[in-house]
Amino acid sequence: MTETTLYSPNAPQKKKFRVRWLDIKENLTGYTFVLPAFIIISMFGFFPIGYAFFMSLYNWRVRKGPFIGFDNYTKALGDWSGVVLFIAGFIFLIVAYWLWTSAFNSKNSNLHLATRLFAAIMMIGCFIVISKGWGSMQEAGDKNFLASLPITLFYSIGTVPAEIALGLVLAYVLFQRINGKEFFRMIYFLPYITPAVATAVIFRTIFSPRENSLANQLVGLLGKEPMKWLFEPKPFTTAFLGINAEQLNLPELLIGPSMALVSICFFGVWTYVGYNTVIFLAGLGSISHELYEAGEIDGASKWQLFRHITLPLLSPVTFYLALIAFIGTFKAFNHLYVLRVPSAQGTVDVTSIYIFDTFYKANQYGYAAAQAIILFFIILFLTYVQNKVFGKKVFYG
Amino acid sequence: MDNINSTMNDNTFKAPFKSRTFSHNRLNITQIILYLILISGAIVAVIPFFWMISTSLMTLGETINRQWLPKIPQFSNYIEAWTEAKFDRYFMNSVVITLTTIVGLLFTSILAAYSFARIKFFGRDIIFALLVATMMIPESVTMIPNFLMVRGNIIPLPGLPEWKGSWLNQLPALTVPFMANAFSIFLLRQFFIKIPDEYWDAARLDGAGHLRFLVQIVLPMSKAPLMTVLIFAFIGSWNAFLWPLLVTTKPTWRPLMVGLYTFVTEAGPETQLLMAGAVITLIPILILYFLTQKQFTEGIATTGIKG
Repeated sequence: MTETTLYSPNAPQKKKFRVRWLDIKENLTGYTFVLPAFIIISMFGFFPIGYAFFMSLYNWRVRKGPFIGFDNYTKALGDWSGVVLFIAGFIFLIVAYWLWTSAFNSKNSNLHLATRLFAAIMMIGCFIVISKGWGSMQEAGDKNFLASLPITLFYSIGTVPAEIALGLVLAYVLFQRINGKEFFRMIYFLPYITPAVATAVIFRTIFSPRENSLANQLVGLLGKEPMKWLFEPKPFTTAFLGINAEQLNLPELLIGPSMALVSICFFGVWTYVGYNTVIFLAGLGSISHELYEAGEIDGASKWQLFRHITLPLLSPVTFYLALIAFIGTFKAFNHLYVLRVPSAQGTVDVTSIYIFDTFYKANQYGYAAAQAIILFFIILFLTYVQNKVFGKKVFYG
Repeated sequence: MDNINSTMNDNTFKAPFKSRTFSHNRLNITQIILYLILISGAIVAVIPFFWMISTSLMTLGETINRQWLPKIPQFSNYIEAWTEAKFDRYFMNSVVITLTTIVGLLFTSILAAYSFARIKFFGRDIIFALLVATMMIPESVTMIPNFLMVRGNIIPLPGLPEWKGSWLNQLPALTVPFMANAFSIFLLRQFFIKIPDEYWDAARLDGAGHLRFLVQIVLPMSKAPLMTVLIFAFIGSWNAFLWPLLVTTKPTWRPLMVGLYTFVTEAGPETQLLMAGAVITLIPILILYFLTQKQFTEGIATTGIKG
């Protein structure tokens, strides 16, 4: 279209028309090509967000009932002042964190110390506010729904760091002079591509409470008594380490996840390590050789090379993987659904599972929609926080 | 993109420590440790599969007394699982569902990706950004309205008269929602955008429009990214569980994964049949994986880094 401007300036009328017609044709083709994908994604991707919110405002069980405003949200979260306290606690926690890190920049050491002290006190205050808010939410809200949130968090904490660390180790080792790299990479990747339902079925028999299940044979080698694994609702501190947490009278969050959930975490790690390994390998491949050579000339040890070259240059990859994995744990459903057994007494019901039950088993569509919207906001918030807090530490070269 | 792929391949496996020369005949201690790490990782990755296959060939008694290997492999378990759990039907369902989804997905994503990459139209970047944003949305949010949608409660749906306006337990419910996704469009667009403009100029001189240029020039150049999209679509569709569980209340169109799950709840203590069933569900994925292994991992590596 640009070449039309090169033609004689004596016929501006004609030129304008030509450009317009081409523009319209180009626009039409563009829209036509996008249309099929756009219709499907709008119908099954965008529309549901709005509609889920709409549903959440009604007493909607199978069929649409009367408008009830935010009652579904109140039912789930309990006490709104508790929610406000809870959220405010988190916001101030971020502010405190920001103060703590910005203290590094100030030159005056007295001011530095004072800021840090203030930030530390603020953090403690925030934790108190958060637990107060949480407490009053639990008193009035849907206990099972609220309990599903820390279970989800336990599942994230139990899988994401281990996945990333193991993935990094394997990728780093694979990147050395090793024979059969492709073979190892292929094997590591296997758990990731095989259907989660099928592998979860396998893990159900491996982590079964039978005395001769694979997991029990393994702990038997360590001289431990057979355990109930997926069927064990007791916290893993009690079941595995033998600490009687109930007697210590600790708050629920500090006791830790149930043995059943820990067993599921094993499955999560087993599935995703290979994926992380492959991505880390690609990341390692993109670091230029010159940097290592320069480091070696300067007499750096292998550990120093790893610590000061590999890790910082891999940080964008690590950050990306952590983000994807973390969001993934909040969306995870399939394997958790297959691996949960009634004996676990709901100690493995993460939020996505609980929402499914509310929707599919209890037929409370409106209430399930409200829970889903809450989950969506939590995911958005966590993504934002992760970007703000850890995104800064990423080194983009 | 060819360049990108090849540089990636070159770099992925090049060890950075060229200057450090290990003697080739002797393994030193570091290398032994490295191999030990790798091998133990491989064992952990493979043992569940080994466990599955060995259990699937046992008699019921052997699964209870739990040996590592069956005395005489019971291949009849496979036949039993295949017929008893209606896996023959579910398997065919899964094949049809997966193929239909892939065809639809390729059609919509190629067109949309081409349009976003090479046609200038009003509001293009905003529409693209909106589509990409859908990748963030959890399935928990979309599943409830989508369920009402395929039940025909929200808008009238096209279909055969005997469906009575609902897609529940019908093929479209299992395929249509997955016939477009932002990820595939994004992936193909990244590739199409890098095709030099000279090709388009030449094609236009020959009087070709966008559609002909796309079919005759762009697609033959794009085998690698198309293959990646196809593989992802295959896995996504074959492994899908949550949505099919919701929309198949009858076995008519029930896919393999839901069949396997119902089998879990029904099979009870007959672990050997369950494991045989699990093997059956894995086979197509494993065949695809071993055939396209390199494409597979590299496709994931490149998209992972950029996505």
